[in-house]
Amino acid sequence: MSFGRGVALVGGATTKFGVRAATWAELAQEAGGALFRAVPALTRADVDSLFVGAAEPERFAFQSHVAPFAAEQMGLAPRRVIQRTELACASGQSAIRSAYAAIASGLSDVAVAVGVEKMNIPSMAEANTSMGCVMDRAWDGAHGATAPPFFAMVAQRHQLEYGTSDDALAAVSEKNHRFANSNPNAQFFDKTFDRAKLGRLPVVAPPLRLGDCSSMTDGAAAVVLVADELATKYTKTPVRVAGTGQYADFHNLANAGSLTDWVGLRHAAGEAFRSAGIGPKDLDFAEMHDCFTISEIVEYEAIGLCPPGAGGQYVLDGRSSLGGDVVVNTRGGLLGCGHPLGATGIAQAVEVFDQFEGRVPAARQVPDPHWALVHNLSGSANVHSVMIYEGAS
Amino acid sequence: MAGSSEAPRRRAAVLAPPEPAPPKSEPEPVKKPAAPLPFLLDFFPLEDEKNTRLAAFFRNLKEGRLTTTKCRSDGTLAWPPRVVCPQCHQADLDWVDLPMVGRIYAFSAVLMGAPLGMESEVPFVVGLVDIPDVPFRLFGRIVGTPWEQCHVGQKVRAEPYELPDGRVFYRFRTVG
Ligand SMILES: [Zn+2]
Repeated sequence: MSFGRGVALVGGATTKFGVRAATWAELAQEAGGALFRAVPALTRADVDSLFVGAAEPERFAFQSHVAPFAAEQMGLAPRRVIQRTELACASGQSAIRSAYAAIASGLSDVAVAVGVEKMNIPSMAEANTSMGCVMDRAWDGAHGATAPPFFAMVAQRHQLEYGTSDDALAAVSEKNHRFANSNPNAQFFDKTFDRAKLGRLPVVAPPLRLGDCSSMTDGAAAVVLVADELATKYTKTPVRVAGTGQYADFHNLANAGSLTDWVGLRHAAGEAFRSAGIGPKDLDFAEMHDCFTISEIVEYEAIGLCPPGAGGQYVLDGRSSLGGDVVVNTRGGLLGCGHPLGATGIAQAVEVFDQFEGRVPAARQVPDPHWALVHNLSGSANVHSVMIYEGAS
Repeated sequence: MAGSSEAPRRRAAVLAPPEPAPPKSEPEPVKKPAAPLPFLLDFFPLEDEKNTRLAAFFRNLKEGRLTTTKCRSDGTLAWPPRVVCPQCHQADLDWVDLPMVGRIYAFSAVLMGAPLGMESEVPFVVGLVDIPDVPFRLFGRIVGTPWEQCHVGQKVRAEPYELPDGRVFYRFRTVG
């Protein structure tokens, strides 16, 4: 199945993620600089379109109309398509999907997707308010709903229905932090967390502890996508966009249905697999949205790596680690890298390109990969976005 | 995530009659910031007719009734209340009472990272509550029991509470 003409990912780069002494504009500049260094054949004039993934620049940076703002910061003058994509935690993948659609349709030939988020601001209570308005602000946010208590309820139900242990949750965090130790751009690059240490961290929203939650992070990342026939101008290892799927089925928490069966993800992943002509067993590695440890466990199940309820055992058995079935979150995940909302989906795609190019450190290099999946959820796991990539070799 | 495309989520609305008014209980200590929050940092909705077409929800709540809208044409019961039916897109809706008593389906507590204006309420419990005969759950603050002693299946009753500026909102209180 094809959505139009072929599209290839030909390179990308990220800034350092973390609590950065840098503004939104400066992060955008850094991402532009890093992209043009990573793809030396790319010129400013080549870039006909720019898609800017940014979740809440109005709240965190008091800046609207960020697409032309980012273009100017990056030294770009897009002449075909310029737009911002906002889908909360999936704003970055949304930018890539939009770039893909623009190129597939013939509207664009060379498109940059950049994601930028500045989340550490002087008042972290105000930042928490901004995270609360991702929910149905008036009807859920007003009760104090933010992401941690929602995903804590997912964890509680998963533990109740399937007996998933706190140790399985910690195993996700331990794995992803270990991978982050090989990624200098990760927020927690220089921090080690074993399961014993994770179990002693303070509780944020029971049963979730600090190490079960991704961080409020500043960062930016950028990738370039081109029409297939232009790909070899930019890289010897173009990565084909092979499939994609997306699904949204509720917003208010009252309408969430089962907390442990993410039906929307089953639909989005199913559509992505169908469009790529492969199934979960074909995957070599995956970048999944581990905003919380429990998220990655539920995602194994909904994407089809293991049966419902078996996600905890899947990670405990090492099946998502190097040497396992499908290596998950080699970049370090959101847990290890931090989660600058708009930048996360782009940084995941950078990892996909770098893995296929074979240039990541040996501690996280997947041997001879061919198929990769990227997943982002947004909000209260009420939207799921999935892309499947095929490497050249 | 919800089963909308797998199985019909909407069931015929069979509503329990309104529960008798809850017994008067001790008011929760009000711990609110001294100064009102700027509009764009305030989670609570504006409730009066000048600002919303759902003002009846808040009037009913002030009388101790938790209500929502039901479509006159196809019976669709929606949460939150609507001005247009999400099923048939007609605007001919009735206000109906929701059952006030339910059971906790899932809960957690906010021990850190509270939004502006809620920091002084930490730790606080939030949860999803199963209420009978409606095609959704209700999410809300749960008071009356510390989080360490709350449990799934615990009985809770909806109640209104007043904000310092006179607006009203709802929450759940553990029963027994
Ligand atoms: Zn209707």
